[in-house]
Amino acid sequence: MSARRHLAWGLASLLVLAMAIGLWSWIARAGLVSAVFLPGPERTWAAIVKGLQSGVLVQQTGQTLRRMVLGWGLASVLGIGAGAVIGLSARARVWVLPLLEGIRPLPASAVAPVAIVFLGLSEQMILVLIAFGALWPMLLTTAHGVASRPARLAEVSRCLGLSRTAYLRKIALPGALPDIFGGLRLGLTVALILAVVGEMITAQGGLGTRILLAARSFRAPDIFSGVVVLGLIGLASNAILSLAEAWLLRWRPR
Amino acid sequence: MKGAVLPLGLVLAWQGTATVFGLQSDTLSDPLQVLAALAAGLGDASILRATVQTVGAAAAGLMLGAGLGAVTGLVCGLLPVLSRLLRLLIEVLRPVPAVAMIPIALLVFGFGARLEISVVGFACFFPMLILTETAVRGLHPLGRDVARMLRLSLPQRVVKMVLPAILPRLFVALRLCAGIALIVAVTVEISSNPMGLGYRLMLAGQSMRPADMFATLLWIGLLGWGLNLALVRAEHWLFATGARA
Amino acid sequence: MPAQILKVAPRPQPVTAAPLIRFAGVGLSFGRTEILRGIDLEIAAGEFVSVIGPSGCGKTTLLRLLAGLQKPSAGQVSMAGRPLRGPAPDIAVVFQDYANALLPWRTAAGNVALALEARGVPRPERAARIAELLQMVGLGAHAERFPAQMSGGMQQRLQIARCLAQDPSVLLMDEPFGALDAMTRHKLQDELRGIVRRTGVTAFFVTHDLEEAIYLGDRVIALAPHPGRIAHSFPVTLPPQRDQLSTREDPAFLALRRALFDFIQEASA
Repeated sequence: MSARRHLAWGLASLLVLAMAIGLWSWIARAGLVSAVFLPGPERTWAAIVKGLQSGVLVQQTGQTLRRMVLGWGLASVLGIGAGAVIGLSARARVWVLPLLEGIRPLPASAVAPVAIVFLGLSEQMILVLIAFGALWPMLLTTAHGVASRPARLAEVSRCLGLSRTAYLRKIALPGALPDIFGGLRLGLTVALILAVVGEMITAQGGLGTRILLAARSFRAPDIFSGVVVLGLIGLASNAILSLAEAWLLRWRPR
Repeated sequence: MKGAVLPLGLVLAWQGTATVFGLQSDTLSDPLQVLAALAAGLGDASILRATVQTVGAAAAGLMLGAGLGAVTGLVCGLLPVLSRLLRLLIEVLRPVPAVAMIPIALLVFGFGARLEISVVGFACFFPMLILTETAVRGLHPLGRDVARMLRLSLPQRVVKMVLPAILPRLFVALRLCAGIALIVAVTVEISSNPMGLGYRLMLAGQSMRPADMFATLLWIGLLGWGLNLALVRAEHWLFATGARA
Repeated sequence: MPAQILKVAPRPQPVTAAPLIRFAGVGLSFGRTEILRGIDLEIAAGEFVSVIGPSGCGKTTLLRLLAGLQKPSAGQVSMAGRPLRGPAPDIAVVFQDYANALLPWRTAAGNVALALEARGVPRPERAARIAELLQMVGLGAHAERFPAQMSGGMQQRLQIARCLAQDPSVLLMDEPFGALDAMTRHKLQDELRGIVRRTGVTAFFVTHDLEEAIYLGDRVIALAPHPGRIAHSFPVTLPPQRDQLSTREDPAFLALRRALFDFIQEASA
């Protein structure tokens, strides 16, 4: 009964989505908005198909995905590692954390010009930019998660005679996992944004470069197709992370 | 206090190294030069002009996006049917990174404030929508019963019961969105729009004026930090009784 | 009636003369607050010692000293003739707050495994030992459950199983059944007695429940507060075979309960 209702609402919601696309199509065809600005869903789809067939869109998607995942992965390793150290040490929290908290509100993209000065308009610059931006959410959530673990578990660990690394690996980090996932999720969003920004600035290829160049030469279908793919990347990466989270945190009381 | 030791120490070490080894570079400058550049920028008002442009666009975009988002969220929160119908549409649009809107806005508006405002508005819309809807949903169901007993009309209910109850959480959402707005505004300026602090930063970097570049970066950092601090303070002051407890 | 009191319990007394645990002039102060003073206590191997006292008398602190989680500021705690420095692997602690003491992200089997991992038991040997321990505490059918999917009683059983996995010679328990309902508490008391008798482990049991202290113990230590010190040591003269109904009606049980009750009244006044 409940499952059937769920399905009915899902279908109704899908219908609304289809209607929205229909509306978009109608607006474009009726010429309510100039075709220069707004290609209909048909032309957008055609641009996607063309891009897939020629392989250009596939290649660009691959570049953006690669940068996003690499930068995010780098930030995850660094952020979770450093966050764990800071979270474990009360001294580090007092001396180092305020500095890190202070850097966090800085817009990550504002670091791009500095990174360009040192690394040029290069692949490394994009990766550094992504890693820098995605680092903070992970570092701070990990530090917070590790620091806020129940004191009792530390005593259990001492009573069992666990080593410091075993404590970190078996108790502190798994305990911080719910917090870490919050950071991973935020970091992934930041990584996609910064991948696009980096590609826009450096023109090193990828979807960001695609849509900016298309805007300069008034090729609206190419922009829209790129934006659609970026939306799909965001949707899919979030969904994958949600699945991983649901599996890894299945022990949580519901 | 202890937290200030490390940053101050780093800055002093940086200055010390620069002074001892006589730093002459197109890419680096020492803290004193950065401070001098910041003072110069403030003195000839060029930083202030850029700040007004950036903050103005961010504020306008915030009002537009967060305003629409709050209204939509409120309606969706009050009418679960609408919320369920729109769910898929929102779930599909929400993950689109705001910066991907830059080229579209560029096509429509060209360079200028409107480009920036529209992208900031897009970025603020969805977080505000979700947070407002969650806030309305989180209200105690008793409120609805009370409203029914008092025979309040829907507008009366919204004004007298729902809005006051969600105001603290609405403010938290607004604070979050204000941070997003500033970040997105600077990002738009860095990646395309020739105005404001982001463009000043980019220009300084490209024309090899590191002191100016770091000064602008420092200023942006201070701005973001100050904005956050001010809003947190305002939140405590406005909702001192409700939020703490 | 007196005849029954005189019937001394034939407790299986170990042959070794030296006590397993010895507190010698132990005191503990935090700054100017004195928590414990002049604790002298000897516990024989295999003995079940219950500790009672009014709240704030330092029962839990005494247990933490023995666990090595706290260092005494005076005197010495020693085990098997060696002074205790920090937690020892063959002293296991059952905490009252089982929900905080278990790893919520590990299943029942995983939680028991943690103790085996800490001892360096090779992986192939773990599974059989885990199954055996879970069986012993009555969780044989729930090996794959997470703590959040268990009742309070099951979680405390699990914590006991994890402690037994340490293969300890001493089992410390800090009001382990304090948060459980009466039915579950009685059931676990019986199971605990069974486990302790079978494994021959030395037990140190802190509780505020006077009947529980008598029912489980071979001896009841009564602590007086401000600062915490040992006021009395009551031997429990009950037969080792105990039963929730008849033991609690035993005159020796009732007499001791009265004595402990009077002590608490006096000490808290």
